[in-house]
Parts: sequence; structure tokens; C-alpha cells
Amino acid sequence: MSKKFRLSRRTVLRGTGALMALPLLEQMLPRNAHGAPGTVPRRLAVFYTPNGIHMQKWTPTIEGPAWELTPTLEPLAAVKNDLLVVTGLANQPAFPDGDGHHAAATGAFLSCAKVYKTEGNNLRVGISMDQVIANHMTATRATRYGSMELGIDAGRGIGNCDSGYACPYANNIAWSGPRTPVAKETNAQAAFNRLFAGGIPGETQAQIEKRRAYGKSIIDVVRDDATALKGQLGTSDLQKLDEYFTSVRELEKQVEDVSVPSMTCASGAAPIVSEDPTAKTKAMMDLIILAFQCDLTRVATFMLANARANKVYPFLGLSGAHHTYSHHQKSQSNYKALATIDKWEVTLLQYLLERMKSVIEVNGLSLLDNSMVYFSSEIGDGDSHNHVNLPIILAGRGGGALTPGRHIVYQQDPLANLYIYLMQAMGVPNVTTFGDDGTGPLPGLV
Amino acid sequence: MAGECENAPQTPGRVTLHRLNRAEYNATVRDLLGDTTQPAKDFPIDDHGYGFDNIADVLSLSPLLMEKYSTAAERLVNDAWTRGAFNSCALDPLNPAPCAHEILSNFARRAWRRPVQQEEVDKLMTFVNLASQHADPPEVGVRLALRSVLVSPHFLFRVEKNAPPGSTEPYTLDNFELASRLSYFLWSSMPDDALFAAAEAGKLSDPAEVEAQVRRMLADPKARALVENFAGQWLFTRALGTAVPDGTLYGAFNEELRAAMRTETELFFAEFISGDHKLKDLIDAPFTYVNDQLAAYYGLPLPGSPTHKRVELTGHPERSGIFGKGSLLIVTSNPDRTSPVQRGVWVLEQLLCSAPPPPPPDVENLPPPITPDMTMKERMALHRSAPACQGCHRLMDPLGLAMENFDPIGRWRLQEVSGAPVDATGDLPDGAILAGVRDMQSYLKKDPKLTNCITEHMLTYATGRGLSEADHCAVKDVADKAEARGGRLVDYILSIVSSSHFTQRGAEEEQTP
Repeated sequence: MSKKFRLSRRTVLRGTGALMALPLLEQMLPRNAHGAPGTVPRRLAVFYTPNGIHMQKWTPTIEGPAWELTPTLEPLAAVKNDLLVVTGLANQPAFPDGDGHHAAATGAFLSCAKVYKTEGNNLRVGISMDQVIANHMTATRATRYGSMELGIDAGRGIGNCDSGYACPYANNIAWSGPRTPVAKETNAQAAFNRLFAGGIPGETQAQIEKRRAYGKSIIDVVRDDATALKGQLGTSDLQKLDEYFTSVRELEKQVEDVSVPSMTCASGAAPIVSEDPTAKTKAMMDLIILAFQCDLTRVATFMLANARANKVYPFLGLSGAHHTYSHHQKSQSNYKALATIDKWEVTLLQYLLERMKSVIEVNGLSLLDNSMVYFSSEIGDGDSHNHVNLPIILAGRGGGALTPGRHIVYQQDPLANLYIYLMQAMGVPNVTTFGDDGTGPLPGLV
Repeated sequence: MAGECENAPQTPGRVTLHRLNRAEYNATVRDLLGDTTQPAKDFPIDDHGYGFDNIADVLSLSPLLMEKYSTAAERLVNDAWTRGAFNSCALDPLNPAPCAHEILSNFARRAWRRPVQQEEVDKLMTFVNLASQHADPPEVGVRLALRSVLVSPHFLFRVEKNAPPGSTEPYTLDNFELASRLSYFLWSSMPDDALFAAAEAGKLSDPAEVEAQVRRMLADPKARALVENFAGQWLFTRALGTAVPDGTLYGAFNEELRAAMRTETELFFAEFISGDHKLKDLIDAPFTYVNDQLAAYYGLPLPGSPTHKRVELTGHPERSGIFGKGSLLIVTSNPDRTSPVQRGVWVLEQLLCSAPPPPPPDVENLPPPITPDMTMKERMALHRSAPACQGCHRLMDPLGLAMENFDPIGRWRLQEVSGAPVDATGDLPDGAILAGVRDMQSYLKKDPKLTNCITEHMLTYATGRGLSEADHCAVKDVADKAEARGGRLVDYILSIVSSSHFTQRGAEEEQTP
């Protein structure tokens, strides 16, 4: 497959410059048993940002619908009524053994499971909530991709990550199983190519069938290889081989879906490759919107940086690094720097939300109305490393699953309960507990 | 403590099924197919553990990565086919089997780094029939088979067989498994024809043959992988690319200097691969590689060359060894100031393997200066006045403070930004007083932990597994033998590759829950 994107059997409609997709068309809607179009699906996007938030400038003073924008949330003015600001949720499993708050809490960010402290052997986390949803989407064959994992930073690749916690904990929020991080794509161009890979212009049905048969036979052969290997390996090797089997199953699904006729969606132009973090994040936001619009996936996660990232943002007029600032020691200059970074992060969220709001779908509602966007960090206050008052925004109406326009204050309710609510809203059946401390869906969101 | 290891049992440990990391994938397809496009640069990053990104336990395989492998395989095969990489015979459309068999058995054997069984080749040959069933020429089938070889677990993983079921005895690697360990250690790549031939002849059970192979492999340009992948991670050179010194305070640093510093460290380390230096002379070796720009920046006589030249550091002992290298000095600094803590921790972790425990929760950061001309040393002293901090900082700070004459971008200085004179003295808990970087170098070279620690990092990298307390005696043994051989990098490598940690694989232990 050439790297250059090829439009397949899809309607060819070029976007104008920026990444732009058609609205979700009726023929793209999931079909019910009789083949008639169903309802517009619900989607969930997760936006992770590291090192916590300067909570004093983030938290609204008034609870309920009369809440007012705080300095940090000010960029969200245009979507204020689409926001649920949620404070007072706690992720108790995020507390590490000893130090290592960032990696341990990032491993627990979407899993709400205590992370096993290791530099490498015996990684252990719970499955993350996005992957529970992804499994459901895969099982019901709802979308081509069960989920999409994006980020902008690959990782610095030297040294240790966080006080005895292995790097995968710090670099991944999506975990498909206790030992298996789901690698994120950090190249927008590659992510784009992946979303729209698989087709060749002008292919006939017979050619499609042949390509599928070839692809499947490769998969059959290598799966045979892996099965034959099983007998020669030990238990620890088999865990690695299991990852292979799982990945091959996913690949098989991609190969089979090559000719799914519902893939009728124009991609527009490929994203512009940039190393600028603002531009790079916006490109990733565009991809999430595109994937949602085209119903290629219904759950996406995004990491603005890896845990404990100590990045410098000179374009914000700052010379110090993020993690260092987050240990503010109540210094006003550190608070100011943190609030500047926080506001930049919120501005990127604003970009996502306003674009989602501008996309009108076939049910006459906006993509934001039909979706849930979850924004948070692994930590509340960075200096004290707490995980009991997390900075959370839920945006969108989730097709009726959320009633935004409010500030809700909880009393240390488990974060896991929020996830139970979100998973149920995404249609995952029989999920009543989650992580180490989830007991039931968080009340009060609708 | 003498003699503690004399009768200690040593088990080789167990390396989990090892996926090729990005560097290994790129180097392997380069050597297998002649493809130099580095396809893995677009793969998701390999997570790392124990300081390296080739740790088998940490290298996972995600669906996204599998997709990338599959896409890359198709592209690699098509490109190689077009380049004529499979032209060893002509596929006769009427009787394609002999040539297809030749292409596929040769390729699978090299790609899988071991002899292939007849039934494995037979299975690959079924693609030729499949193509003909779909009215495609045999070439299409052969290409499908080649793609399957590249996404097979035999290619993507370095497979080492298990000890016989139920056995608790370590399993000695067969010659092919050992050949792969050697080539991935020294080259981050597959065995070449000569190494493969030695394995085929069963010669790698002979230590003299292994030694000859190691010397041959280190002389090959492919040994540059040790510089990039081992030294780049051990010495933190890799982090130089993402370091962002504060432009307002340290605008003298620029991209040309960044590149020049990386080259300097690489050439410096490379001389330890090829040259006759003791490995611990990395600490204070009196030479370096600079171009005019970097020499001027360092305050050295100009070599009169835009490209790097080897220079003796006569009269400039401060630039000797790794501590005089801008790359290390920058990556262990904050953007806007030096960090004696980071520098001290680097020394303790990377050279003495005596990392202090992490700071206690709620620890205060370095306080701002009380008076404008406070030295870094005075600020640090203030900082560690809290009793909870003293224990560790008394270890870290003196080592870092001894490097205070180097600013955050690696320039030599006598004054801090504030104008305060640099105070580069530090008192170690054992009473030793280090006055500047030269003192620290001699202090480190005398520390018996140095050679054990270098060994620990190298053995971790060589085997792709994290070491633990249980490996302590094996590490010491390898280091002692290496020093007895002469203490050069090649002596360490020879000591490692002849150790049971390298030549054997432990039987499976009961899984810890």
C-alpha cells in the first residue's frame, strides 16, 4: 500500500483545504435488522492532559446551572451551555505505592485500577473503559475500528519513567488488558492514512473479493505459525503471543471490512504535518471529528502529552517546564505559568468542541449533541499529587445521556462510577462495576 | 563483602519472547531486503523499561502495530521485488514451483534466522496455487508468501525455544538462537551470512569462534547500532534532540551545535568500540571530536574544519570524558538553570547504579534565591535543610555541584547567571571533598561500583531483560572477567557473551501472582 491516500469506492468529494468530512449521511447510519437506517450513534472522545490543573483558577464557585466561567475556562464561552463541569470525583486506585504518582495515576486514568509497581516485568493495570467500549463495538461489528488512540508525543525514550513505574504506564491511557497497553498514533498523517486505508479507486467487486481472499490467507498462514509456536514456548512467552493473536484478529477484521459498503464518506485533504503542538493537536482533533462523522469509530482517546511531561512551551511566553511548574509550591509565578498552560489546553478543547458543534448530522443535531467529550488529568493539584478532586469537563449531550450547562460537585464519589455511566451510555451491556472501586453509574449527569 | 559471590548460585534468567523494536526492525529489513527507508519510523514508539527500549517484557504488540507491520510488509515486498531483490531465478509461468521454492525457502530461512522445515516451505508454496486459482500469475503468489513471512511471528519475534516441559534446568541456546542474540546485541539486526554459516556449522559453541565473530562484528559499520541504541540510551544522548534550553537566557545554543554535540558524543563512544581504551576511561579520556563551531563554543583551539576532527585535550582537561560533553550537560539541566540534582542522579543511576529513592511526597522544589547573588550551592544547601531530604541530597548534590562550572548549555563558566562566582565544591558523606569535575572523575574511577554498574547496563541491553538483586553476582563476575581481560569495551562484550546469562535461558519459574 502506498503511503499516499487513495480514495476507494467512496464518493469522491474533496474538502476545501482543512480536513472536512461530509455530514453523516443516512446511508451510513447503522442498519437495523431490516436494513433500515437506525439512529445516529453516540460517540465518546477522551482528552487527557498531564500534570494536573491549577484548580483555584479552574473551579467555578457556584454549583448548578448558574455557574460562571472561571479564568481558565473562559475560552469555552461559546460552548458554555454544552459543558458539565464536574468537581469532587476521586480516583483512589490512582494512588501509587510510595512515589510515582504520575505513571500510576495515568495507568489508572481510564482503568480506575491500581497499577502494579514494576520497571518492566509483570506489568499490570485494569482494562480501560474506552477499551471496554471498543470491545463492545468490535463484538457487535458496529464500526470498522473498535477505537482510536491518538496522542502528540511519542516519548523521550531514555532513563526511567516515574519512580519505579515502567514507561508504558506513563505513555498509555488505553489498556486492552491488564498487561497490554494500546499504542497510540502520534503522526496525524499516518492516522489519517489508516482511517481511510484499504481501498483502491475503480476496483471491481471481484477485485475487492480477491484482495480480501489474499489478505485473509496471509492471516490464516501466520495464525497457523503462531499456533504451532505455542507448543514450544513457556507461559510468559504465551502472554506475548496472545498479543499477537489479538492483533491478528483485529487485522482480520480490517481485511474483511475492506468492502463494507457503508464506508461512504469523503475524507477531504490529509492533515498537515507539523511539529507545533497546537497545530498537531488540532490535526488530531480533526481526525477524531472525521472518524466520528464517518462512523469509522465511536470511541477515541487523545493524550496531549505523556505522564509527567516536562515540556517547555515557549510560544506561551514560558521558559520553565510543565512538570516543574506543576510543583508550584504556592509560588505566584508558578501558579501564573500553570494557569497559562491550563488555558492553552482548554483552548484546544474549545477547538474540538466548537468544531463538533458546527457539524450538523442527519438527525438535525450537532455532532457535539450526539457525542460525549471527557476532558481531565491524572492529577488535580500537581504539587500535592492528589487524585481526589480531579478537574473534569464533560461536554456534549451524548444524544440525551448528558444534561450540560451545569457545574456539579460530588463528594469524593469514585471516578469509576462516572465511567460506568459513560460505558452504559455507550451501550455496553451488563456493566455495573468497574475498576477497583466502581459500584454503579454516577447519578446526576442527566 | 568479599567472597559473597563465591558460592552463590547463578541462574541465567529468562528472556521473554522478544518482539523486534523499531531500530531492530529497520536494521533487519535493511539487511534482509536492502531497504533503507526505515519503515518503522512511522510505527508507534516502543516503550522502554530499565533504561532501554529493547526490553522484551515491555515490548508489546498492539493491533495498531500489527496493521503497520502488515502495511509495511506489502510495501517492502513490492519495492524489493521491483528492485530485483528476488531475481536469483526466473519464475517459469508453466512450472513456477522450483524457482518459487528457491526464493521462498531462502528468504524464510534468512528472515526467520534459522533453518526452515520442509512443511513450512510447503505452506508458503500454497500461495502460488492460491494466485493461480484467482487467475493471477505465480509472481503474485510468491509475493503474497513473502509478505506472510514478514508478518509471521517467526520474523516479528526473536523466538527462543522453551526448556523441556517440567525441566528446571537452564536451557542452552542453540547456535541459531545464539547467533541472533549476538547480532541483535552488536548490530540491532539479523545475523549476516558469515554468522549464519558459523551457526549452521555448529561453531558458536566454541568460545574462540564466538570471540572471532564478536571482533569481526565490532569492526563492521553495523556496530554503530551500539552507539545509537546502547550508548544513546545509557548516556542519554537520545534526549538531546528534545532538550529545549531557554532561548532568552541561553540563546547561544542552536541547532548546529545540537547536531555537533550529538556527533561528538557518538564519535567519542565509537572510539571505545574500535580503539584500545579501557572502558572506564569514558570518565576522563583526554580526547574528543569537534568541528570549528563546537571547538569555539567549548573554548578549544579550532581544528580548522567544518566536520569533526579528533583532538587531544591537552590544556583542557575539563572537556575530558563524558562530563565534558555538551550533550550530557544539556540533557541533565533544566531549560533555565543547571540542575545539580539531575546531574547527580545521572551519575548515581547511570554510572554507580546507586539511584537514590525518589523524593518524599510534598517535597519543596529548589527555592528562589534569597539574595540575587546566591550561588546554586547555597540554594541547594537551603533546600536540603529539611531532614527528610538530607539523606539522599547529601549523595546527589556534591556530584552534581562538581559540574557547576558547566552551564545549562554545556559552556564552561566561572560565574552563574546572577553574577555569583561558581562554587563547584561538594562534600560527600564519606568525607571526600570534590572540588570540580576533575575531582569527581577521579573519585568515580576509584569507585568499585563503576565497572559493575557499566556491566549491569550493558548486560540489560544485551539480554533485553531487566536485572534484579538475583543477578548481582553474575554482574560482578562478568565485570571482573572483563577487567581481567583488559577492561576494554570489547572485553566487556566478550565477557557478557560468554556468560551463562547470555548463552542460556532459564527454565520457567512459578509465576508470581
